[in-house]
Amino acid sequence: ASRARDTTKEDGKEKLLRKRVRERDIRKLVSNLPYEGLEKMKQPNRHFPGNAIKTTKYTLLFFIPMNLFEQFHRLANIYFLGLAILNFVPVVNAFQPEVALIPICVILALTALKDGWEDFRRYQSDRKLNNTPCFIYCRKEQQFVERRWKDVRVGDFVKVICNEIIPADLLLLHTSDPNGVCHIETANLDGETNLKQRRVVPDLTVENGSLTFSCCREKPDNVKVGIGIESLLLRGCTVRNTDHTVGFVVYAGHETKSMLNNNGPRYKRSKLERKLNTDVIFCIILLFAMCLVGALGHFSWLQELPSVPPYLVPDSHGHLDSPALSGFYMFFTMIILLQVLIPISLYVSIELVKIGQVFFITNDIDLYDEESDTPMQCRALNITEDLGQIQYIFSDKTGTLTENKMVFRRCTVMGTEYPHCENGKASSSGKTDPYLDFFLALAICNTVVVSTATVRRQRVSAPFTVTLDGEERWRTKVGSFRQTISSWRPMSNRSRTSSNCSVLEEDHFNSLAKTGNCGGRKSTGPQTQDTSPSLRYEAESPDEAALVHAAKAYGFTLLARTPGSVTVRLPCGEELVFEVLDTLAFDSHRKRMSVLVRHPVTSELVLYTKGADYAIMELLGTPYAEQLKGKQKRIAADTQRHLDCYAKEGLRTLCFTKKVLSERAYKDWSVSRQGALAAIDNREKLIMDTAGLLETNLTLLGNTRVRIEDRLQESVPDTIVALREAGIQVWVLTGDKPETAVNIGYACRLLDEGDLVINMSSKNKVRRMLIFNTSFTQQSFLSALSSRSKSKRINQFFFCSVTAHFTEVRRYGNDPTGLAPTISLVIDGRTLAMALESDLVDRFVDLARRCRSVLCCRVTPLQKSAVVKVIREKLKVMTLAVGDGANDVNMIQAADVGIGISGQEGMQAVMASDFAISRFKHLKKLLLVHGHWCYTRLANMIIYFFYKNAYVNLLFWYQFFCGFSGTAMIDYWLMIFFNLFFTSAPPIMFGIMDKDVSAETLLGLPELYRTGQGTGEYKFSTFWTAMLDAFYQSLVCFFIPYWVYEDSDIDVFTFGTPLNTVSLFTILLHLSIEIKTWTVVHWVIMLGSVAVYFIVTLAYSAICVTCNPPSNPYWILQSQMADPMFYLTCIITTVLALLPRYPQYSHIYTSKHDTFAKHITYKPRSTQNPANDDSMEKKWCGGPESPLVHWTQNS
Amino acid sequence: MKEQQETANRPDNTAFTQQRLPAWQPMLSAGIVIPGFVIIGLAFIGIGIALFVTSQNIQVLERDYTGVENNSPCFKCSDPSTKNCVCKLDFSLDKLFEGPVFFYYGLSNYFQNYRKYGVSRDDRQLSGRLDNFQSPDEGCVPYQYDANNKPIVPCGSVANSLFNDTFKLYQIVNGARKLVPFDGKGIAWWTDHNVKYRNPSITPLKNAFNGTVKPTFWSKPAYELDPSDPANNGFVNQDFLVWMRRAALPDFRKLYRRITEGDYKNGLPAGNYSLEIAYNYPVLDFDGRKKVVFSNVSWMGGKNQFLGIAYLVIGSLCVVMSIVMLIVYAKFKFPDEE
Repeated sequence: ASRARDTTKEDGKEKLLRKRVRERDIRKLVSNLPYEGLEKMKQPNRHFPGNAIKTTKYTLLFFIPMNLFEQFHRLANIYFLGLAILNFVPVVNAFQPEVALIPICVILALTALKDGWEDFRRYQSDRKLNNTPCFIYCRKEQQFVERRWKDVRVGDFVKVICNEIIPADLLLLHTSDPNGVCHIETANLDGETNLKQRRVVPDLTVENGSLTFSCCREKPDNVKVGIGIESLLLRGCTVRNTDHTVGFVVYAGHETKSMLNNNGPRYKRSKLERKLNTDVIFCIILLFAMCLVGALGHFSWLQELPSVPPYLVPDSHGHLDSPALSGFYMFFTMIILLQVLIPISLYVSIELVKIGQVFFITNDIDLYDEESDTPMQCRALNITEDLGQIQYIFSDKTGTLTENKMVFRRCTVMGTEYPHCENGKASSSGKTDPYLDFFLALAICNTVVVSTATVRRQRVSAPFTVTLDGEERWRTKVGSFRQTISSWRPMSNRSRTSSNCSVLEEDHFNSLAKTGNCGGRKSTGPQTQDTSPSLRYEAESPDEAALVHAAKAYGFTLLARTPGSVTVRLPCGEELVFEVLDTLAFDSHRKRMSVLVRHPVTSELVLYTKGADYAIMELLGTPYAEQLKGKQKRIAADTQRHLDCYAKEGLRTLCFTKKVLSERAYKDWSVSRQGALAAIDNREKLIMDTAGLLETNLTLLGNTRVRIEDRLQESVPDTIVALREAGIQVWVLTGDKPETAVNIGYACRLLDEGDLVINMSSKNKVRRMLIFNTSFTQQSFLSALSSRSKSKRINQFFFCSVTAHFTEVRRYGNDPTGLAPTISLVIDGRTLAMALESDLVDRFVDLARRCRSVLCCRVTPLQKSAVVKVIREKLKVMTLAVGDGANDVNMIQAADVGIGISGQEGMQAVMASDFAISRFKHLKKLLLVHGHWCYTRLANMIIYFFYKNAYVNLLFWYQFFCGFSGTAMIDYWLMIFFNLFFTSAPPIMFGIMDKDVSAETLLGLPELYRTGQGTGEYKFSTFWTAMLDAFYQSLVCFFIPYWVYEDSDIDVFTFGTPLNTVSLFTILLHLSIEIKTWTVVHWVIMLGSVAVYFIVTLAYSAICVTCNPPSNPYWILQSQMADPMFYLTCIITTVLALLPRYPQYSHIYTSKHDTFAKHITYKPRSTQNPANDDSMEKKWCGGPESPLVHWTQNS
Repeated sequence: MKEQQETANRPDNTAFTQQRLPAWQPMLSAGIVIPGFVIIGLAFIGIGIALFVTSQNIQVLERDYTGVENNSPCFKCSDPSTKNCVCKLDFSLDKLFEGPVFFYYGLSNYFQNYRKYGVSRDDRQLSGRLDNFQSPDEGCVPYQYDANNKPIVPCGSVANSLFNDTFKLYQIVNGARKLVPFDGKGIAWWTDHNVKYRNPSITPLKNAFNGTVKPTFWSKPAYELDPSDPANNGFVNQDFLVWMRRAALPDFRKLYRRITEGDYKNGLPAGNYSLEIAYNYPVLDFDGRKKVVFSNVSWMGGKNQFLGIAYLVIGSLCVVMSIVMLIVYAKFKFPDEE
């Protein structure tokens, strides 16, 4: 949809229209200048919001009600509020009504404090942003005056100076650049650091230099001009390389694109949290059961009484409720009393623990990339523990497994293959014409922006130095490249003087050469060296930069690029200025881009197209040059062969084509193009269609190939092997060719030599038929299954084969000897599309499940996410997707955990991801160490929390001795403190800092990761074991003191004090059994908790004389602590309560020890494995069938 | 300077942020666990023996005087219709009951811990605030105001149900009854007597209670609870304080008097005794029981066998476990090492 539809001038029109101005699709804007100084009512643009932004959620005045409203969206808070309100009902209350509000208030206050602090920080950044200075044109003063961002209104004219940030969405009207171009950097929006060009609104002729806005207004304005994104400066971008620009504000404040795109942080729910919720429900059931016991107990206790004892208190009329009614009331009293069984602080604690875990992950120096100065980033704060449960990894190839630092290595021109060091021969071979064209295409066909050293960019923010560094490296690489070039250049020049200028006459370049300049020129080597330091290429993708640098190294230097022209210096020194008629930008559907230029010398219209080989090969029409017609077949075959060779070496290949257009064809096309450009609805699609029109209909082949080296990142094989040992299946999904993918697969040890590789691919000739047939898949598949006949029909063959594969694979999988090779699957995009059809998807998943590794080649971004979704849903596994480019965004969002690699291809993947790393190898430590830790920590902490809250069972047991009347024998304040202060810090610390296994062991024995997969440590049984243990412990903690004080003169709260103390010790000691490693922090917090308990309780007992009736804590702990029986009771109770834990602990310890021992004994065996593998391999290779089964379907 | 710029985002390389703090891993190897269990076991056995022996040396004499059975001396008094009934409980000691002897009364099946009962009191009134004399706390309902809408002081159920049996102990010496002197001082908590419960600072105390009525169950007003000692009246009356400290469990005893004076300083000598009970408190209608208990105390309080036995059992359990572990260790450790 068109973002900017604007008529620059509008006189006072109907008021009615203006009132609805904001609802309408078309935005009519008027300059504010004529209305300057008028009161607000007369301003034409008053309906549009101002530029001041407010991202805060709350206002100072309404913070409390709004925040409360927000918080009560959480079910748990409503539950606890409901209980607190219930306590105000006199017949059911268990405590003093006000007292019951304390826990919920504390929780709400803590959360509100956190929210308030976050909001305050937002407020501060808003204020800072709103008060940033900017220049607005003022009519009175006839110049730009300094104002604040918040003063900018729709309809204002704003001037932005170089390196300043654009305050609102502006329509570009004027720049200091003579070509009407403004360069912007969008790093603040999408993280991309390359420069982008924006051009001044066309047909708006403004006198250069002395810009007066009266001329704008006076211009008649009946012509409608379509304006695209290329004239829009978005808020948040930075102006670069342009001295100043002037724009007209079309969208301000919250209507700007950056603000509209500014969604809140992503919220994902982790698997553990989902499980946790079911356990909370169990707790609720348990609570209700206990309350029911209490209610029934109270009922029968009342029934048993022969008459009214003095301790039964009637109501004010001297009337007692019937036992049944009392029992009913008692149910609710019990809920209030035992409410702590549902852990109120659990959710808050989990959030705190995750913040701590994220802190440690982001601060890990091993996950920090020195080169790019990027630490690990956690963008989603609440799924850290999912990292410990991953079963499937879906990885992108380029930029993820490989460096994506592109180096131009080889090319094929006219069917002859040249490594870069031999390129001299290319020149001397005499066929300069296609070579010239090829290098010209290399230099022209891109969107690379040239920035010169004189207008050097000043970087404001440090974080985005990635590409800069990359470029530096680039420069050195190209430098070395140039060294090698210079070795052949003299020869090349010689050849050029002899051949270029005289022999070849067919092409316009030769006519150019004939002009005579070229031959007389000197070697171009020094020249390129002269110019190189002043030129800096800003490319959107690294391969574009690679190609331009390569072209430059061969003498074709891209000097400048404006929207209307490209300047290239030829090796001979000539500077050619091509008029660019159109640029058909790259998109992922077409997988190619084209530049239409008018040649300066011949005035021919030439279309240069660059794209992925398969995207180009399909479009090849008539041969490149007539005289080559006979050779065409051979050349195409050679080229294809070279292409395959390149792919096997793991190189990315690109094809360049050229097409000469007739003037008339261009005119025809340009009409439709203009129509598309001026369109408002569906504009992008139309533009794409017209681009396709030009490219498909009339394509010529320039059979030139560029290959780009795609190096594997460091430690990728190690990482993949470790991940696989950890029980994680690694899939690679790439847009590259199968050969490239397989090659990389072997290089990164995803595929082993001994593997059985099933290669499923379909060539394009059968594609249509297969696609056609897939509509009948169900039928044909059934018939294929039933008949099993050797039908020649392709569809049946296909499905027979698939079925055969499945059975074969199953046979291997079931091989009892275990000697069967591991199976790997290579599948291409088209076959994958068929495999993902609803009738085949189950079989595909079944096959894929049995494969050790799967490579999907030539898949589209949508297919990537489809694969992830299918596996995630069908197999119910935890998936992780890792990628670096915009094409991985879908996949990253589809997976349970999305990881973005901040690499060369911008930041889009990072923006969409949950975690951002800078190298693939970091995945190893992130998953194996941090994932494992986060998961075990959080799982254990949650279980511990449930266990801890079962402490309230003490109160339940006491009900059996107080007529089920809901009495608490512990002071209620102390009960609250117990949960809030005395026992809250240790589990949080446990959740953040515990280490069950050291990082070294986890990295050394990736098998340990398996403990977290599937149900992991947080099982159903674990929860119930913990609850049973809690019940046992509460029984011990209650009944030992009970028997000790039985038949004595102990009073209620004196009896409660040892119970409370014993519980504290039991709970803390229980935790210290769970804690595997003790650091200083552990000691401080554990001992601190005990100290806080005694200090707070002693102080409270000393201060509270009549403060909290009816409880009577005064001097109780003091008197208890003077009694030796208190200590003796505490010791025996704690020991007995924890006694079952010791064997369990030692059992766990020994079992863990066993697994360690097993692994240690296994290790040498696994190092001996190569021998085994060899024999296995031999067996397979020696057999009648090759282990490498290529199943390729041809017609 | 440049290097600093380049590594601006580098995380701190400290032991804490890198989770490399020096850590201690509790490794429960057999070499620690077995001796540990032995030591704990032996220590527990030692404590257990000490507790058990101490508990054994404590003498306890308990007599139920509810009067349920026909032959019980207080049977006649158990009928709620009889007023001011006095019954005599005779018993004999065949050896010296060592002093100081504590004399308790005990109630069974009496739920002083019943929640609404416990709430039914006004702590502010009991701390001597005159405002609360005139308008007692809501919690005291229905013992807040009497039928004539006069405030009840002390209000509430707990105060209302004050135990009002009284006891006199006589030693029968040559057929003559010799009163054993009771010491009623300091039987309540010192803090209750001196801090928590306060009479209004009005003399005479009676005036503070003007315009109020005594609890319905009481026979005398609060300021006349102990006619013999003017200081032992009002809210600081020891018996009242003892009662107001609610018992934790339904079967409880409360200290009534101590025997510390005169001839009985060293305890009750062997001989015949007669306990004269003014039987006022009805318990039969809720299946309650009343008893009197004579006991002497040690450092561990009253007689309690349980704790000593528990220590002995768990101590032995630890020792047995250590032996079992030793056997298991000896049996399985060595093949493992091969």
